[in-house]
Amino acid sequence: MPPTLKPNPSTKPPGITARGLRRTFGSICAVAGVDLDIEPGTVTGILGPNGSGKSTTLRMLNGLVRPDSGTASVAGVQLVGDGTAVRRVATFAPGEIALYGEMFGDEHLAWLLRGRPKAAFTKAQAIAEQLGLPPKKKVHAYSHGMKRQLLFAAAMGPDVPVRILDEPTEGLDPAKRQEVLEMIGGEARAGGLVLLSSHHLSEVQAVCQRMVFFHGGSVIADESPNDLNRRARRSATMVYESPGQASGVAAALQQQLGPDSKAVIASVTQDKNNVLVQIATDDPRPFLAELAAQSGPAPLSLELGKLSLVDLYRTVYGVTGL
Amino acid sequence: MTLSRNVRNALFTGLGYFIALELMLIAAILFWPSFEENTAALKVLASPLPVLREMFTELEQKGVSAYVLSQHFFKGCNVLGCAAAALIAANAIAAEAQRGTLEIFLLRPLSRRRLLLERWLTGAIQVSVPVLLTTLTIPLFLSQVDESLALGPLMLCAVHQCLFLLSLFSVTFLFSTMGRAPLHLAFAVLVFIIFNFSIYMVKTVTHMSVFRLADMETFLEIYEKGALPLGVTAGILVLIGGCLWGSLSVFERRVP
Repeated sequence: MPPTLKPNPSTKPPGITARGLRRTFGSICAVAGVDLDIEPGTVTGILGPNGSGKSTTLRMLNGLVRPDSGTASVAGVQLVGDGTAVRRVATFAPGEIALYGEMFGDEHLAWLLRGRPKAAFTKAQAIAEQLGLPPKKKVHAYSHGMKRQLLFAAAMGPDVPVRILDEPTEGLDPAKRQEVLEMIGGEARAGGLVLLSSHHLSEVQAVCQRMVFFHGGSVIADESPNDLNRRARRSATMVYESPGQASGVAAALQQQLGPDSKAVIASVTQDKNNVLVQIATDDPRPFLAELAAQSGPAPLSLELGKLSLVDLYRTVYGVTGL
Repeated sequence: MTLSRNVRNALFTGLGYFIALELMLIAAILFWPSFEENTAALKVLASPLPVLREMFTELEQKGVSAYVLSQHFFKGCNVLGCAAAALIAANAIAAEAQRGTLEIFLLRPLSRRRLLLERWLTGAIQVSVPVLLTTLTIPLFLSQVDESLALGPLMLCAVHQCLFLLSLFSVTFLFSTMGRAPLHLAFAVLVFIIFNFSIYMVKTVTHMSVFRLADMETFLEIYEKGALPLGVTAGILVLIGGCLWGSLSVFERRVP
């Protein structure tokens, strides 16, 4: 079937647009009506816990999984049929790593780039070399991280406007992770669009211009790293040693802060031995003064201005059970 | 580079299957003089099984043509060919799903239709070409035992045999497109083949065996008339086409 190229009527270069993407597997709703608008020249991160619908959304945008309903266009190409036309203008590095172990590294790269111009293979080979992948070693002898990098090199080789990367840094050592993130950033600076998923908030913050948060198959937030940094600056996380007394700790702390305090207890969670209290405040300095001035339970640790992905989901988006 | 690897793998499998068929054929043809001498005694041995006894009666009447057709097609190609068709087709797509490589198989900018047809054609060639090539060598080996058969009708028999094997291949291929357990599928198809061979030998139910479509009687008819049985051929072609269409439909929507 010939590709159906339907140029986007907007004057801006087209990026990724999705409207009401939905997909169920049996009785499980993996993606429940996702809308996305992603501009070219940006790196956008998709974050979320396992099973939140990130990978299914990325697979749908690449035509690997057909949506039950909804529409999408990638680089101006409508997602129709089996998505072959979309895969001509976008590359995809899957999150699942299963390769043909019997092939040599460069042979596998050529296999992954079948249907692309020869220049794609040349560029991918150069990226693989830069990442230190041995081209004449059989893929079954590659480590998990090396396999991930091989898929990354194959996704970065072709000259396409859109690259979709599912957890591209998972399993990489810090140096390689940095190298990969730099390449991703460079791609966006050159005008390309990169959509990546990750579990690591810090690396997404470092490289992405936008962050889309998924939960239960839906987008629950769409923020920039600056928004997130502002949120982080307004938060304090305290850990108290108090097994099984979360409510007691919360009450004591509330008393400590007093009725006029501008700090708010955003969440209180109990783990095995500790109680974790998240405070939301516009300015943490008065809060710290209040805490120091009053007597009451002393925290084991206090951390200002940092939010983990789990904290973010718990305290900002009110998601429980993570 | 990639295509050559796939072609190389297919060639190796096809070559192994061709060599096995050819060796069985050579052995059968070289055994013909001895068989001819002992046909009467062998018929007595086969007498407890009415279906087998009828085969020997036909062999006695028709001579070398019935012998070669039954040895090469009914015995050799049906046994080895069916096994090859089942194993190749079962692995075609289900093996990709089982090893987890279906996702990378599909993520290239190649249509699913094209990928599936490539797999189907590669398998179909592997299953059919050795049958055609070995049949081409029959006159050469028959001349070693001072016998001869016309190549044209022999090739028609080979075409019928290929269609029969392709129907089994296509049905298995359809299930492979849907599944992710190639070994279970191949095993199920092999059980089906053995079951059908077994009932072929039982007089009361022999008509229910699929091997009635590719037995000595069928091949003798094709050889003598010099034409394919149109009804059966059309039925087989419809089955192959239907299975291929079904495979394409399933594969278009398959989740990796």
